Amino acid sequence: MLTYIARRLLIIVPMAIGISFLIYLALDLSPGDAVTRMLNPVQTVDPERIEELRRALGLDAPLVVRYWIWFSGVLQGNFGRTLTGGVPISRILMERLPATLELSVVALVLSSIFGAILGTVSALKRGSATDNILTVAGMIGVSIPEFFFGLVAILVFAINLGWLPVGGRLLPSYTTYWDHIPNLVMPALVLSIMMTAGVMRYARSAMLDTLSKEFIKTARSKGLPEWRVNLLHGFRVALTPVVVLIGFRLPILIGGSVIVEQVFQWPGLGHLFVLSVRNKDLPTVMTIALLSVILVLVVSLIIDVLTAIIDPRVRLGGE
Amino acid sequence: MALIDIVSRRSRLDRQFDQLRRMEEAGQLKAATGSRFIRKFLNNRLAVVGLVIFTIILLASILAPLLTPWNPTEINLRAINKPPSWEHWFGTDKTGRDVFARVLYGGRISILVGLGSALVSALIGVIIGCYAGYVGGWVDAVAMRVSEAIMAFPEIILVLVLVSILGQSLFNIMAIFILGGWCGIYRLVRAQMLSLREEEYVQALRSFGLNRALISFKHMLPNALGPVMVNITLSTAAFILQEAGLSFLGLGVPLAIPTWGNILNVAQDLTVLQRNWWLWLPVGTFISLFVLSVNFIGDGLRDASDPTQQG
Repeated sequence: MLTYIARRLLIIVPMAIGISFLIYLALDLSPGDAVTRMLNPVQTVDPERIEELRRALGLDAPLVVRYWIWFSGVLQGNFGRTLTGGVPISRILMERLPATLELSVVALVLSSIFGAILGTVSALKRGSATDNILTVAGMIGVSIPEFFFGLVAILVFAINLGWLPVGGRLLPSYTTYWDHIPNLVMPALVLSIMMTAGVMRYARSAMLDTLSKEFIKTARSKGLPEWRVNLLHGFRVALTPVVVLIGFRLPILIGGSVIVEQVFQWPGLGHLFVLSVRNKDLPTVMTIALLSVILVLVVSLIIDVLTAIIDPRVRLGGE
Repeated sequence: MALIDIVSRRSRLDRQFDQLRRMEEAGQLKAATGSRFIRKFLNNRLAVVGLVIFTIILLASILAPLLTPWNPTEINLRAINKPPSWEHWFGTDKTGRDVFARVLYGGRISILVGLGSALVSALIGVIIGCYAGYVGGWVDAVAMRVSEAIMAFPEIILVLVLVSILGQSLFNIMAIFILGGWCGIYRLVRAQMLSLREEEYVQALRSFGLNRALISFKHMLPNALGPVMVNITLSTAAFILQEAGLSFLGLGVPLAIPTWGNILNVAQDLTVLQRNWWLWLPVGTFISLFVLSVNFIGDGLRDASDPTQQG
């Protein structure tokens, strides 16, 4: 087991370093550096002073050294400053992170529960009208652009019916944490409906796969009631690959909520990311990209280890 | 209980089977003709519906000049924000451009971006995958590392990072989609090649002294094409949705070029959303229908090319 983890780490760590180097390269090649950003655009500054400042900040060092300075800063949570406003990126990230986590976790939980249940129902009633309707509904779910879906939801529930606010998260009039729940309902539901389709499809095929196994026949032939066979024997086994899939969706949540956050003006990381891309604020863009890559790599390591624990063939098979 | 349940559960396939049996007993059954693949595909109702919708929208976009007299970029200040009428089927937008014409001409670009990027990335993926899977060596090692690095990015993050570096243009958007898209097909083809490499017919060809390119591209690749075709359709759908999403954010194809996403972009304005439904509802429906039809086709192709499913 330990050798397996070590082997995975040997692949993942160099990759993270390689990607961070590429990201730094993109940052480095973009016009302007820390000094030009510090300068007041109105005043003219003596070019010699600029050179001096560059030397003092270590900006004249070779690329690899500069990369190392940046990378060790990143490891300590120092990501530099934004181009627009010069605020430390880490502070903005900490402000935005709770909003994204709140939205993503709710959507992930809802879509996992709905997806697993609908997929199982679909598999148990294979070939029936229910199955067909659910399958087609799932296809429609992945075919509608999520912002279009969000816009229609805003039109119906916020503008026409007036049940829910149009967007935003924390309005000045809100005092307690619970006050912003009405703001959360629509973005979370829209996001989770789009995500349910994928989980449902996967749960259906996992369940069908399990139901065709020998132990299900054995359980039936022992005379167990059908619901026991389906739920206690079938569903439990089919759940493992579904849980793995849900784990894989965790990092996608940061990317997945980008558009929904924009539609509902939800002040999370995705919203910040789009804003930074629009403003050509490369330091912020690259920091978010780097963090999401690291998140993907860490989660995939955890999932690999978990599957290796569940299924010994994985770690013994080797690569 | 369980047995009755199973017997009473009759699907469309059961009814088809019964009909086939009746025909066989009556001696009317003819030997099947034509490709088995096409028969299986046509037997899938949703796939046929998808193919019909796909063809209609594709033809309507290609034949746009025949279907509408309006120019999609011509500004007409005398007809601003007009609701649908006989003259303007989908109404006009805030600068008096005909929305129906914009949807048709926009379809050209959106479909070009979706289908074009999917085809090119499939071509690249197949070529590298074939070579890497059959020959291996340093090409394989490099391609594997690069694809792993690309796939470590969540899709939209990678696309937006590249947009912020390269800037917005039709060519850049397609290049970015291709850069992110070839890895999936490369991995798929590589895995197929690795398993096909050990087949006896491949060893026989090798012992005949055929060269590697001929074996891998002419004799092995056709056996791996089913999943590739499915992948092309699914990535076409994904790219069209991504283009729409990007343009909605204002970061996709430049706004001057009409695409489905760019037309929808105006709906960010809540007053447009509320008052001028014709500006966003028809085009949103067009995108959804088109992507849905592509997904139906992809599903049909998957079933038809899967030898473990009989039909």
